[in-house]
Amino acid sequence: MSQSLTAIPAVCPELGLEVPVASIDKELRKLWEQDEARTNASLMNLVVYSERPGALLKNSAIIRDFTREHACRAILVEIDRAIPEPGLRAWITAHCHLAHGRKSVCCEQISFYLTGKVTGRFRNTVFAHLNSDLPLIFWWQGELSEILTERLVSVMDRLIIDSSTWADPGASFRRIAEASLINVGLILQDLAWTRTWQFRLGVASIFDDPAAQRALPEIERVEITCHPDHRNSALQLLAWLAVQAGWQDRKAEDGFAFRSLSGAAISVGLAEDSAAPPLSSLILRAGNKSACISQANGSAHVERRIEAPDYRVTSLAPADPSSPVDLVALQLARGAKNPLFHKILPRFRQLLESDNASH
Amino acid sequence: MVESTAHSMSNPFREDLVARSLAEPCTVVIFGATGDLTHRKLIPALYNLAVDGDLPTGVKIIGFARREKSDAEFHAGLEDINRKVSRSGHDPQVWNPFVGTVSYHQSAFTDADGYRSLAEKLDAIDEARGGKGNRLFYIASAPEFFDDILIHLKDAGLNEAGDGCWARVIVEKPFGTDLATARHLNEVVNATFEERDTYRIDHYLGKETAQNLMVLRFANAIFEPLWNSKHISHVQLTCAENLGMEGGRGGYYDTAGALRDMVQNHLLQLLSLVAMEPPTDLTADGVRDEKVKVIRSLRQWDTPEKVAANVVRAQYAAGHVDGVPVPGYREEDRIHPQSNTESFVAVRLLIDTWRWSGVPFYIRMGKRLPKKSTEISIHFKDAPGVLFNADCGGVPGGNVLVIRIQPDEGISLRMVSKIPGNSVRLESVKMDFHYATSFGKTSPEAYERLLLDAIAGDATLFARRDEVEEAWKFIDHIEHAWHQSNNPPPMAEFDAGSWGPKEADDLLLQDGNAWRRL
Repeated sequence: MSQSLTAIPAVCPELGLEVPVASIDKELRKLWEQDEARTNASLMNLVVYSERPGALLKNSAIIRDFTREHACRAILVEIDRAIPEPGLRAWITAHCHLAHGRKSVCCEQISFYLTGKVTGRFRNTVFAHLNSDLPLIFWWQGELSEILTERLVSVMDRLIIDSSTWADPGASFRRIAEASLINVGLILQDLAWTRTWQFRLGVASIFDDPAAQRALPEIERVEITCHPDHRNSALQLLAWLAVQAGWQDRKAEDGFAFRSLSGAAISVGLAEDSAAPPLSSLILRAGNKSACISQANGSAHVERRIEAPDYRVTSLAPADPSSPVDLVALQLARGAKNPLFHKILPRFRQLLESDNASH
Repeated sequence: MVESTAHSMSNPFREDLVARSLAEPCTVVIFGATGDLTHRKLIPALYNLAVDGDLPTGVKIIGFARREKSDAEFHAGLEDINRKVSRSGHDPQVWNPFVGTVSYHQSAFTDADGYRSLAEKLDAIDEARGGKGNRLFYIASAPEFFDDILIHLKDAGLNEAGDGCWARVIVEKPFGTDLATARHLNEVVNATFEERDTYRIDHYLGKETAQNLMVLRFANAIFEPLWNSKHISHVQLTCAENLGMEGGRGGYYDTAGALRDMVQNHLLQLLSLVAMEPPTDLTADGVRDEKVKVIRSLRQWDTPEKVAANVVRAQYAAGHVDGVPVPGYREEDRIHPQSNTESFVAVRLLIDTWRWSGVPFYIRMGKRLPKKSTEISIHFKDAPGVLFNADCGGVPGGNVLVIRIQPDEGISLRMVSKIPGNSVRLESVKMDFHYATSFGKTSPEAYERLLLDAIAGDATLFARRDEVEEAWKFIDHIEHAWHQSNNPPPMAEFDAGSWGPKEADDLLLQDGNAWRRL
């Protein structure tokens, strides 16, 4: 059910003060002049875009927490496609936090609610309110739409998506590839990929151990268990293993299979567990030896385990959070480019096609 | 920051995962395991690495010390302190498996049998791991045992690793008390471990802002073109402490003094990062080659007259810090009543290179100053005053770039701006960057970073032998003038809680400069 243009009151505690779009800058200045004790901090422009009804209020609550660790100018956008007549409303507010219990550090938030045909208006509205010289992080929530144009992508530094929410990931990745043709420096971050982080780190850590390293060429089976909503994460993890270990695809009766560098067959088991976290286990088997990364439901830790006759090592690592906002925060804290994702993306898209074909 | 080892190359899953050197599985042996450093810094640092998932899988830790203790007693003591000091708190779910990797090895540092049984213990760990393993020896004992530990490590064959593995040693400061003792220590260390496997730890270099110095200078195109004698008037390094000799620290401090305790290591290391040329690459030796050139280029104050003209030493007299009366240095606990040790030192340094010709660098370090603060300030030359001097009331102080090391790490830039109004009047304004404000995430403790670097074989943030010895060479001249010459420069005095003696102010005034007000 869509909200109407008048559904959000002019003074909304969560969104702040409603202001004319043309006066946003002036009103923000007034906001800062009211209290000189506050420090306005910003390291980036963070645009949070959604076409889901009610997204503005939800995202404003998210930004309030997010700005505790990531100083930014937040620009929240909700597009309401159910209302044909063009409309545009704007609110401004600031989220303030005590830094180390002393100084009050604040981040600006501008919220836009658009209706009607919006493509050009939306783009211009966002462009006009960016903090100059700071990077533009664009967090696209939900399914992609025709609003993701080449012009829009051309000004982004980083595009954050969550392919686990897409009905047709193959088509959406094609759309991104087309829209980012002229922005070759675009950093694409898929939260489904972020969810694989601790598992990838665990695999790398296990294979630092000389005993495990010797068993790498002997791997004969890969088993991954994931939540049904997070099959993309499992496929990306599988694509990463195959790309890094140099495994080639091999025809299989059902599902996936690989051939190792030495030509040995590697079978793959991909299981789903609706009671499990997004990724609950990855097991690499080589004869009577195994390497296992696992996270129990509700556990704050990921367990890394090597098992062999007469040899067993276990260690814990912190589990990454699973909520989208925490994953975005984690990505931004890690910063940098994302070459590994771009490297595995073609293989992942191949696996997606095989997966679609076998379902 | 380090070349990939054959080991890391053979793990294809490591590629692009972390933008740092690979920390490999190893056994860490800590000598002086019952001491304060182990309990308050080393174990909490290793634990916090485990909390963050950065400690390599399969790491084992052995505490080596003289006192009789069971593993359980050792663990209990470590846990007690970790609960109080750990940066990320104390989580039993992480602590229990972590402490399960820690064992205690009782032996005197001088007992050869203790090292033989240590070797057996290490072999058993390696055997379980499937062959030869990596070993990191951390010498956190009192300095008088450094020689014994190193010699016994060698005798027990522990200084050598098997094929494809490594054995490294971390040595805590002080790296000697003068050039002769530093050379002796270095000879003993290098007779035991290769220089590339020797890590002399200086925790100042593990601080975030110190690491950021190179990024600030070499990743921003706007600073480096100005970073020379053409544009910089002078540079100040201040390390102020408001504490005195509380907690029994006077016993050690009175044998060392401000110059040897802080300037020889921490402050000269910071100075070298400020003044060095761009390294050809970011390998440990690439960076350290440039750092040592700075120390080597310091003009030597090699006569008492030169020392008197360029160095001020002082002790604090009774005074007030934060409104609380405090005793004078010579009345402090464990300080000799006729002590001739400086609690404050100010030094003018000249670096005889093309880049820094004629630019004085001033260092001041003192106890019982008004507040705790460590910072580097780069003072730029004034802009030509032809436009604004005559009618505008003059140009206020010029541009200053300040790099704050502690507390409140950050960077600020002072510039001149017009005061709003119909007349042209100028005032200084400050642009300020605070780490804590811009990055909500807390930085890891210096020991966490440095331990991880040592495990990963990245020596960039550790002092090399020639750096240490060149620094002592410079310091020795001053110490000699103070303590062994016929006409030693006088010891000045200042009230505790003030910014040091008038003589230190005069040192800068001679050059037309003044200490920055902190």
